[in-house]
Amino acid sequence: MNEMVRKASTEEIVNHWIMAVSCILLIITGYAFLFQLKALGGLFGGFNVMRAVHNWSGVVFIVSLVATMFNYLHESLSMGADDWNWIKMGGGYLSKGPVKAPPMGKLNTGQKLYYLMILVAGILIAVSGFSIWFIQGNRALTQASHLVHNLAFILFVVGVPAHIYLGTLANPGTFRIMVYGTVPVEFARKKYPKWMKEIGKL
Amino acid sequence: MTTPSKKDRKAILVTPEICIGCRGCQTACKSWNQLPGQKTKNSGTMQNPPDLMPSSYNIIRYSEVPSEANPVRWLFVSRRCMHCDDAGCMKICPAPGALYRTKEGAVAFDREKCIGCKLCVAGCPFDVPRYDKDGKVAKCHLCYDRIAEGLQPACTKTCPTGALKFGDRDKLIESAKQAGYSKIYGEADLGGLGSLFAFKDAPKVYGMNENPAIPESVIFWHNVLRPLAVIGLGGAVVGALIHYAAIGPHKDEEEVKKS
Repeated sequence: MNEMVRKASTEEIVNHWIMAVSCILLIITGYAFLFQLKALGGLFGGFNVMRAVHNWSGVVFIVSLVATMFNYLHESLSMGADDWNWIKMGGGYLSKGPVKAPPMGKLNTGQKLYYLMILVAGILIAVSGFSIWFIQGNRALTQASHLVHNLAFILFVVGVPAHIYLGTLANPGTFRIMVYGTVPVEFARKKYPKWMKEIGKL
Repeated sequence: MTTPSKKDRKAILVTPEICIGCRGCQTACKSWNQLPGQKTKNSGTMQNPPDLMPSSYNIIRYSEVPSEANPVRWLFVSRRCMHCDDAGCMKICPAPGALYRTKEGAVAFDREKCIGCKLCVAGCPFDVPRYDKDGKVAKCHLCYDRIAEGLQPACTKTCPTGALKFGDRDKLIESAKQAGYSKIYGEADLGGLGSLFAFKDAPKVYGMNENPAIPESVIFWHNVLRPLAVIGLGGAVVGALIHYAAIGPHKDEEEVKKS
């Protein structure tokens, strides 16, 4: 009983935590800069220190994000008829009762779309961030980078809380993947039938 | 925010017609602010340094603009921070207190609080802020330390001809108009500038921007993106709470039974 199946490798779990911590640090410090939040600056030991925290967390985040491309990019780019049907029914998140969702693989359609959004927004926010950090003396470039940085920031502050909610409260039993990397086989058969079929455990 | 008509707002009035280009203002500024000299190269003009520098908070621009009446017409325009009422540098600055408004209406800076991001350079409509060798902002601060004590800025104090005048902003505008300058540059731009110019000709003859404005990208960021960042986060959190209360956790039991 209670046979487990490994969904995330140790490397994936560690990398996801690195990304999560750096991302949340970036968002907190980002708001502090956006609205000159003195108290938050004090928490980091002043705005000069906070700037270093923000910039270097950005480096950590983008390295971590690039690393995820080996894990999730290929699957996120492969969309099929099931994915289209999943989108049409909102993944079953729009009705109260039990729903029959189209069978999903290791990642569901929402996760694939979220990953692609974070990847694009992450690259944009990193490139514009490095531009503001390192390239001086070009007003137009700094102005454009500043806009792109803030636009991508909005994608993050909307996407990340939704992602956290969906990975915890909205889907009981999924958060353990971020800790142990494993889920019960029974659970996996419900959530990821296509993947389970692939590995011969359905 | 200070308004152009606010009583205690101070300003510098620059009248190029009576400037003799002696550069006393540049020297006095360096002297009071203890700014080192910087090596420059002769660029074929008497103007030196060629532009505002981290150690040159003000410069006289030497523009040769011959007219029919005057074939050797030299326009001397003493240039420094404009101390805009609606200041683009202050709008975009992420560090509280790095750029701040004094009660006299000056835009002053605090080196300790500046984080060296250089965004103010991109936000300034007049290309004023510079950065020193430590990566901190450097620009004219209207001698905030002198004027708070009832003195006038070093540059205006030393000006021998009255081409630079310091005083109550309203009174300076009034006196310039009485002296026959009908349009004062900076009277209404950007909520009113703290550096006013009494021009006889069109501003562009003096090398000034006709319609100075904060870059549109900065205004869009300030008025749209900044509020959206709060609405976005709030919307996502509230949306999740409502979803949890109204619909609740995902249930996909059916899927297994039927497949």
